[in-house]
Amino acid sequence: MARDDTRARRWRAVLLTPVGLTAAVLLVAVAALAVLGPVLWGTSADAVDTGDVLAGPSPEHWAGTDNLGRDILARTLVATRLSMVLAVCAIVVAVSAGILLGAAPYLLGGRAGRLVAAGVNVAVAFPGLLLALFFAVVFGVGATGAVLAVGLAGAPVFARLTQTLVAQVAGRDYVSAARVAGVGRVRILLRHVLPNIAEPLVVNATIGAGSALLAFAGLSFLGLGVQSPAYDWGRLLYDGIGALYVNPAAALAPGVAVLLAGLAFNLFGESVAKGFGVPVLVGTPQPRVRRESTAVAADVASASEGGDDEAAADVVLEVRDLEVAFVTAGGTVRPVREVSFDVRRGEAVGVVGESGSGKSLTALAVSRLVGEDGSVRARRLRFLGHDLAAADSPAQRRMLGTSLAMVFQDPMTSFNPTRRIGRQLAEVATEHQGLGRADALARAVDRLDAVRIPDAGRRVRQYPHEFSGGMRQRAMIGMGLMGTPALVVADEPTTALDVTVQKQVLELLADVRAADDVALLLISHDVTVVAEVCDRVLVMYAGRIVEDLPASGLATRAQHPYTRALVAAVPHMDTDLDRPLATIPGRPVDPAEVPAGCAYAARCPLATARCRAEDPPLEQAADGSRVACWHAGEPLPDPVVRPADELVEAP
Amino acid sequence: MTTTPTRVLADAAASAAPPSWWEQPWVRFTARRAVRLLVSVWVLVTASFAMIHLIPGDPVRGALGPTAPAALVEARRAALGLDDPLPVQYLHYLQGLVTGDLGTSLLSQLPVVDVVGQRLPATLALAVLAFLASVAVAVPLGTLLGVLTRRGHGRRTELVFTTSSIVVATIPDFLIGVALVYVFGVELGWLPVAGNASPEAYVLPVLSLAVGPAAILARIVRVEMVSVLEADYIRTARAKRLRARRIHLRHALPNALTSALTLGGLLLGSMVAGTVLVENVFAWPGLGSTIVSSILSKDYPVVQAIVLVYGLGVLLVNTAVDVALALLDPRSMIREG
Amino acid sequence: MSELRFEDVTVRFGRTTAVDRVSLTVPAGTVVGLVGESGSGKSTLARAAVGLAHPESGSITLGGSPVPHRGARRPLQMVFQDPYSSLDPRMTIGDSIAEALPRDVDGVRGRRARREEVARLLELVHLEPHRARDLPARLSGGQRQRVALARALAGRPDVVIADEITSALDVSIQGAVLNLVRELQAELGLSMLFISHNLAVVRYVASRVAVMQGGRIVEEGPTAQVLGAPGHDYTRELLAAAPGRKPA
Repeated sequence: MARDDTRARRWRAVLLTPVGLTAAVLLVAVAALAVLGPVLWGTSADAVDTGDVLAGPSPEHWAGTDNLGRDILARTLVATRLSMVLAVCAIVVAVSAGILLGAAPYLLGGRAGRLVAAGVNVAVAFPGLLLALFFAVVFGVGATGAVLAVGLAGAPVFARLTQTLVAQVAGRDYVSAARVAGVGRVRILLRHVLPNIAEPLVVNATIGAGSALLAFAGLSFLGLGVQSPAYDWGRLLYDGIGALYVNPAAALAPGVAVLLAGLAFNLFGESVAKGFGVPVLVGTPQPRVRRESTAVAADVASASEGGDDEAAADVVLEVRDLEVAFVTAGGTVRPVREVSFDVRRGEAVGVVGESGSGKSLTALAVSRLVGEDGSVRARRLRFLGHDLAAADSPAQRRMLGTSLAMVFQDPMTSFNPTRRIGRQLAEVATEHQGLGRADALARAVDRLDAVRIPDAGRRVRQYPHEFSGGMRQRAMIGMGLMGTPALVVADEPTTALDVTVQKQVLELLADVRAADDVALLLISHDVTVVAEVCDRVLVMYAGRIVEDLPASGLATRAQHPYTRALVAAVPHMDTDLDRPLATIPGRPVDPAEVPAGCAYAARCPLATARCRAEDPPLEQAADGSRVACWHAGEPLPDPVVRPADELVEAP
Repeated sequence: MTTTPTRVLADAAASAAPPSWWEQPWVRFTARRAVRLLVSVWVLVTASFAMIHLIPGDPVRGALGPTAPAALVEARRAALGLDDPLPVQYLHYLQGLVTGDLGTSLLSQLPVVDVVGQRLPATLALAVLAFLASVAVAVPLGTLLGVLTRRGHGRRTELVFTTSSIVVATIPDFLIGVALVYVFGVELGWLPVAGNASPEAYVLPVLSLAVGPAAILARIVRVEMVSVLEADYIRTARAKRLRARRIHLRHALPNALTSALTLGGLLLGSMVAGTVLVENVFAWPGLGSTIVSSILSKDYPVVQAIVLVYGLGVLLVNTAVDVALALLDPRSMIREG
Repeated sequence: MSELRFEDVTVRFGRTTAVDRVSLTVPAGTVVGLVGESGSGKSTLARAAVGLAHPESGSITLGGSPVPHRGARRPLQMVFQDPYSSLDPRMTIGDSIAEALPRDVDGVRGRRARREEVARLLELVHLEPHRARDLPARLSGGQRQRVALARALAGRPDVVIADEITSALDVSIQGAVLNLVRELQAELGLSMLFISHNLAVVRYVASRVAVMQGGRIVEEGPTAQVLGAPGHDYTRELLAAAPGRKPA
């Protein structure tokens, strides 16, 4: 099963890190000691020697003796069992109480549920030690009291964690689906929710056991924990500190033991959390994407500055053999390959493709915005005649900052949530155009006005969350207009918007183009949008351009079978209702697993042996359009005659 | 540009008339926060009242010991009002709190208010100094490491920092204290190891209290910084071709700190409690050493009052954090309200 | 088969009214499309029908009696938008489908019968029966959406509600899912409330269409009529905004 493989791989990943391995070994050693300690050293730990009390370290007693002449090292080793038992008991109390309280809001629902949740929220604000002291008073001084105190003190944190995790899972559609299917709440909790939150709970319980161990040491150190004649590490520490001036080793030995055991739990828990991508109570987990790799600094390297195909004067953006590569655990992945195109002044070029086609990365690469873990190479990459391969310089930043405008997909997240809109726009002018703050803000108002944001003078003082989605996207375009852009790169600018708002944004982009002869590079998955807005369309598949044709020819003159299928697969307002939609079998190619030959061959009804062996080059036709296909323009078989089974996607 | 304005339909809601004053986010936020604070205080007060009554057996007998004459125990019970019905006791307790009467110590016979008032400043000084010290170290350190270990950078630095911060954060403050006492007090004899008589006496306690939280805070700041640097709006800032320093300090840091503040607030709360252990290491004349000796001697009115003071401190810190969050990130106000 | 009828349904979240006195009928054996923009209340209406949201007033009936939200048989089933969150990652797709099988209906009693029923349902959505042992991670988005359809059909529903079931899919795959919806409707005579923001998609699968705006239904009628000769301003605006109306 795939899942078992992943699980084994994750465990390997955890145990093969030096930290993970050390922690695992320590943990096993502590556990072994807990079992064997009292058996092996039980007698020597209790052997009283009144002739040799409070002695320092010696060959017989490595850590010296206590006030009854008992060997401190032996006592420390023996104390492992009690310390561990207490810590484990406490964490069991904490986790059980926590799960009960944390799942209660889901099971009870309504007002009672909210009350429990609110109670947990109040309790979780109080530090564990304070709660432990409170419970220690109630349950009395001693081991049992301490277990209950430490356990109950830890419960709110686990309750809160459980509550958050349950709420997350309960919000997923599969839980809704189960409810719709008639599965009861308790059954949903047991079958769907708990299995899906077990991992983070176990990891946090491991870390919690470490904390419990240390908390016991703390309580015992204060004299509130284990009482004589029983002893755990905290008790030994308490006694040892009393004799600190006579024999420091008496405090050192249990101190080191507590520390090592605590570290073993914590480091092991954290390693597992990291390996499994599980959230820990401290901070948020980091994105694990492409983290395995040794990073390649983003270098835009032009291999050869050949003087070939000299650009025409009105070319704004010139791209030759662009490649974007990421180094991953599985080898180098090239999500963008051999991409060459020009964008002329005032021209609107669309880039269409499915997920994984490399269209967005192409946009980021030509804008020098690929993250620093990717490397961008091109034979030629020029914007307004400036070589984008050159190293970052203030002059180049100013040029790009004022001449290249970007519009991103999600207007919700593309503005800084904690800064006012006006400041975010004005920044461009203060940074690149030498304007003062007041002048820059005035220009921001003017630009917001230009993108038809009503009451711009008031709006500049607002935060992004006070703008609607469409307005934010227009403000983003306004930000690009702070300078005098020659090119607007828009990456799925309307995907997150409703159709009526989409129309406004597309119209605004068209106006911007018309007003100053600005070129547009529009990235979209939506063929109909691109056909409507653009002059020319680049169709991308598996990181390559497979066809380059006038937008007006998309429906009628497309040569590549992929382009033709893409156009036919999308229902539009004139689609024939009596025929099934064209479908493309299989699924888009994963950039990490690009097959040999033509990447589309596996899904193509025209594919032959040649297609599976040789990748077709992108050939230019007489009319200037380009296509990469061995069977360009050949008639496609009628989709209706294809048996239904062929429509089933390959896994 | 010469264009005719189109009908702005979906934006209608955003440009609707401003809500009336009680619908303003900050009013709703303040009201909700005040209610929550009041409820929390009530829960705290009730819990501290219940504490004594949850203890099995007779607390006065426990405090005075089995040898104390029955008449004395009875008299003391009557003096404490423990013979009244529970609701009456609760009312008296609330009344006392409002008038500043926290009862009398069972052992010293001093008013509890005096005991607490006398001890509070030392604890407060210790906690505040330790908090400032840990923030002063952790924020710059976490920010710097966040930038150094952002996506595609410093894998080794990240590993070393993360591991060492876990190790440092695992060491309990009292162990750090004991180690410091041994090294600087016993072996080297450079710094005082008990009391708060001189400015130098602050060094070791503050240090032992600040080290662990500083490690945790630095770690949180780093993680938040790294994740903020992945955000879409940082890409927008890069698209504006701002200088790296401006992107990191003006765009990333405030957002990272906002997220870090939520956890940082809990940390500050646990620091208030951490004083209990550290004070016992350094014989610090604060609430922490008093509460422990009072628990051991079963002087419950004092314990009750100190638990109350600690709890109030924690609640005030949390409220302060929420207010700071609302000022830093206007969205959090809406989420709350 | 019986008709699903919303009468004067209002759903409020706090002070916002998500669904405002909506009346709508899904006649037996027909697909009714529900279009509208985000926040128009169309998903809330669907969730209210299956009991995931609670109407403040009004009634939702199926064949004349209230939709049962308790008990083993659920004659109203729903397919969700995101195929990556609508299947439990830790449950095989066979178990996911079996969970939705009614427990008290003849023909699906006993392990063997249930397994056969799951296989039959998988075949119905063009997936190979041996796939029942796979976890969702091994399936593509389109395949997951077919499993979700099979699970909905497992409950032997009178009406299926499909909430934006193609909007999370790649364009090359959504066509196959739409074809499947039409095929199932033709073969099983399924009644369906098909929710989408995409007019062209609704036009392709639905014989009637309702347009929702601001929690209200502003227009309802046969698809050809509503889209061909819209009576309401908002419908006209939606139609004008739909890209690809007049291919360049």
